[in-house]
Amino acid sequence: MIVPDVVSPVVVALYTPAVIVGIVAGLIGLLGISFEKNDLHILILTDLVGIAMLVIVAAVGTDLAESLILPGLVVELAEILAISEVLMSREMRKNGTKEGKHVPLVPLPMKMDMEVLHTAPVFISVILIAQGAFMSGFTGGAVAGAGILFYVLSRTVRGVPSGMWEGIAGASGIAWCFWLAGFMVFFVFPQYWLLALFLAAFGIFIKVTFKAGLIGVLGREEFKKE
Amino acid sequence: MDVSILGAHLLGYIPLGDIVLYMTPFNLFMFAAALAFTFLIAISKTEAQVEAEFGSLKDREVRVGRAEFKIRRFLAIVCGLATAGAMITGDLFDFTLFICLIGIVNIGIVAAVKQVDVLDAAYQYGLIAMMASLPLFGGAALVLASTGTISLLQIAQLSSTTPMMLLGSILVFLGVAGESGVAPFFATKAEMFRTPGSPFLLIIHLSSLLVIVRAIEIMLIINKPF
Repeated sequence: MIVPDVVSPVVVALYTPAVIVGIVAGLIGLLGISFEKNDLHILILTDLVGIAMLVIVAAVGTDLAESLILPGLVVELAEILAISEVLMSREMRKNGTKEGKHVPLVPLPMKMDMEVLHTAPVFISVILIAQGAFMSGFTGGAVAGAGILFYVLSRTVRGVPSGMWEGIAGASGIAWCFWLAGFMVFFVFPQYWLLALFLAAFGIFIKVTFKAGLIGVLGREEFKKE
Repeated sequence: MDVSILGAHLLGYIPLGDIVLYMTPFNLFMFAAALAFTFLIAISKTEAQVEAEFGSLKDREVRVGRAEFKIRRFLAIVCGLATAGAMITGDLFDFTLFICLIGIVNIGIVAAVKQVDVLDAAYQYGLIAMMASLPLFGGAALVLASTGTISLLQIAQLSSTTPMMLLGSILVFLGVAGESGVAPFFATKAEMFRTPGSPFLLIIHLSSLLVIVRAIEIMLIINKPF
């Protein structure tokens, strides 16, 4: 047993409730952040998550844990100071630029009204995506991404509104998580290597496919500057 | 099972009181790589970025001012040293602290830029880094509570892995992912790279790569899957 006998069982029994309290406090903080839209309030709620971290460290309750709380607290303070500086300088620069201008989905400097965009978008996109899915991995992602980009482009040319780029970029992030989870399974549970392999292969496939969304986000920013 | 996992053998210890550093070719190689890159950054000059404008044939040159250059170089060197420290340390809590330092310095490197988009990304990254300190330190505290030590050498000599240690190591990995901006948090970090001043920005990227590799090594030491 790690805990020596001199420690009273009441103190030992406190460990699990303390960790649970810390995790619940952190979750409440995260929930608040997800509801809140004001940047300053989000920053303050983030500090709550940091305090929950201190609770979990303090739950260990040894001398070592005590000496670990102090650096944790210092790190939290340093981070909140750095972020608030960034927030301040951003707000100072933001004032004076006007927001809310409508920007098209794919801002193109020229009119790209080609015949192929009207007649064959679905067919070409489906072939590209199918081939990409068959190849999987990084290369397959690039091929399927070209298919999706072609489809969105053709819909825009025909004047049909499509979804938002931000959502596509978000899906790309979630797919990257699959890839990372697969990577981790390789190291922690090597007996499930097949699952890890498929997670990694199709995670990176979806990620690279939706990377095309970033092109749209970049182009829109350039248009905002003008 | 000892620390010699990744095809390496133990070269020696540096006993500094409680903190025992251990050296394997793997750690030393990454330590030297981080230091060498830091040296290159310390003697290099910043690039001048040339941006192509959308919809016209003009180019726009973006330069970094002298005061901004100096503070950025300093922060990049600190980031490089923190990365080197995270590579060589034999102590789980020192590792988490080095990673937090990398996170803070990453925010600092881009904090002084003028682009609102980049500042926005730095703010979001900072929030994620602060939230990630909960799993990072919490996971390290769980490992401490379930093993009674934070020295990786001693953890490597334990014969079995309890579920609590597994949970702790997974939490540490989540924390590292958040602090170094991989997996779902990559979008903000990719935005941060777009500011001018390239060699200093590259350390942000290099630090997250090296730190992930080291985090995998630590997961292997804690969980001993093979």
